[in-house]
Amino acid sequence: MGQGLAGYLIRRLLWAVPVLIAVSMLVFLVLRFAPGDPVDTLLGNRYDEELASRLRAKYGYDQPVHIQYVKYLQNLLRGDLGVSTKYADFTVAEVVVPKIRVSAGIGAMAVALVFALGIPVGIFAALRRGSSLDPLTIGSWLLLSAVPVFVAAPFAIWLFVLTLGWGNLVYEGVLHPNIILPLFLLALPGVADVARLMRASIIQVSGEDYIRTARAKGLRERTVVVRHITRNALLPMITAVGLSLPGIFTGALFIELFFGIPGIAREALNAVRAPDFDVVLALVLFGSVLFVLANIVIDVAYGFIDPRVRVGVARGGGT
Amino acid sequence: MEARGHLDAYAFEQPSGQRLRTLRLLARKKVAMLAIAWLTIFYLAAVFAPLVAPHDPGQQTLSVEARLQGPSGTHLLGTDGLGRDLLSRVIYAARTTTLFTLVVLVTGGLFLGLGLGLLSGYRGGWVDASIMRVGEVLAGLPTLLLMLAISAAFRSRINDAAFWLKDNTFLGDEARSLMYFLLIVGVAVPFAWVGSARIVRSQVLAIREQEYVLAAEALGASTWRLLLRHMLPGVMPIFLVGLSAGMAGIAGTEMALSWLGLGVDPSMPSFGALLNAAASVPLFRDYPHLLLSAGIPVVLFFFAWNLLGDALVDLAEPRTRGR
Repeated sequence: MGQGLAGYLIRRLLWAVPVLIAVSMLVFLVLRFAPGDPVDTLLGNRYDEELASRLRAKYGYDQPVHIQYVKYLQNLLRGDLGVSTKYADFTVAEVVVPKIRVSAGIGAMAVALVFALGIPVGIFAALRRGSSLDPLTIGSWLLLSAVPVFVAAPFAIWLFVLTLGWGNLVYEGVLHPNIILPLFLLALPGVADVARLMRASIIQVSGEDYIRTARAKGLRERTVVVRHITRNALLPMITAVGLSLPGIFTGALFIELFFGIPGIAREALNAVRAPDFDVVLALVLFGSVLFVLANIVIDVAYGFIDPRVRVGVARGGGT
Repeated sequence: MEARGHLDAYAFEQPSGQRLRTLRLLARKKVAMLAIAWLTIFYLAAVFAPLVAPHDPGQQTLSVEARLQGPSGTHLLGTDGLGRDLLSRVIYAARTTTLFTLVVLVTGGLFLGLGLGLLSGYRGGWVDASIMRVGEVLAGLPTLLLMLAISAAFRSRINDAAFWLKDNTFLGDEARSLMYFLLIVGVAVPFAWVGSARIVRSQVLAIREQEYVLAAEALGASTWRLLLRHMLPGVMPIFLVGLSAGMAGIAGTEMALSWLGLGVDPSMPSFGALLNAAASVPLFRDYPHLLLSAGIPVVLFFFAWNLLGDALVDLAEPRTRGR
């Protein structure tokens, strides 16, 4: 197992490299396709020919595209993400890192909230299987998840902030109570998926022989449900982390705008509009790395949890 | 020859019988019927927008009394900040949504998804591996962010092209909205085929081992014949189910891009733009009809597609039935 897993991990990580190179190349080309170059944006009204050509030479924008790209990669390998053209005098890292911190904090809390809501809902629905409460519970969460965030957010602001007067719309840090409403809005679309997976998992585990054994031993129903069914049903839920990630990433874009959160998604939108070349590239690469890594972690974690799908062994054993 | 005719009949019979059964079961689900009813209204309004809409969606009335009116007899859903009739704008926005989903479904879902799925499942080998790998990569990327970056980068180029088209072709003033529309279609399609290609591929893998396919193969049917006449009917039901599950997502993409100002041309009414116009706090506090007039149809639209998609998946996979 150990060797198989290591080999699998290495293979997956190696495969991630060409993917990231392809993405960076695509975005690089697309951004260079846009008219004007970062120097135009940077100078704006202060444009003068001599200064512009000096800056172009400095950042390599006078070179052909493929040389620019190679130069970008070289800098990237040295940990240099380039300079922001929108925030003159700031490097990309200085622009991006504080925002990543904010978004990562909020995103992590939102993922936790998705599970904190979804798992009990799933258990509840599974235990009421056969009654109308089961489809009703799952169905109502499904409906909630269907509301697009740009409809849900203004409605929630109207209801909770304007009408009920809970908190306000000022961003006061990741741990301030004002963050609760955006967190719920971010988590909402993911809850139904998690609940459905949890429900299916519980139902599957309930049919296992060892559950019958536990009941036959005369354990209390409560103990069977909590200790035997739920505990085992929780294991496959780790894959749902990957499921909820894209939704939160997308939702963050709108939520950060609605609630004035200085996070990565809002920065991404500003950078895309400016356009702030190196910041866009850095953010797209960051997002892609995050997604690729999350997928690897999920696959590996799933293998650990359920030996039947343990990748290294299955591949090694031959099929 | 006789034998082949018989086999062909079999290949057709089974799925169509299934389809009838599926439709009958679907008709028994009340919620699904409500969903279908709303979607029918939505799409009919979209198709017949010029007949249904009470006013010209672009006609502005810039007097103080005409702007931001609440619902009334002449303007059933009220008017927006430029005095335009909201009901008409909502109907034309439904038209935009419909057009966008249709184009993306045909190019991304039907053409790329079904085609690549069939190819991948039938050919196998390196063709299969490379198609599925590309799909894996596309599915594992922050899609909206990429779409935003691409859409933003091409926008000003598209503007230049639109001016050229306006002056040199019959398109005239429509050129710009057409180009913007094509841009977001082009941005969405590369990400739209993966789901259906996967579904089709796995179904093809299951079908190609069936006796009637093996028999047709043994009788010397050509690849095209095998794919179109024997595989396609078997793949179709589950492919359509997959498409219906993706409908909401495609419509949502257009709305999200338009909301962020990187979608369709502002002259083209869109739910994204309508909702964005209602998104600032003072506006939806004082003029809730702005938010509600676009928000309610949109929410119902997503509800309906989710319910319908769910019901269809339920029917297509009998194992998960029996709630």
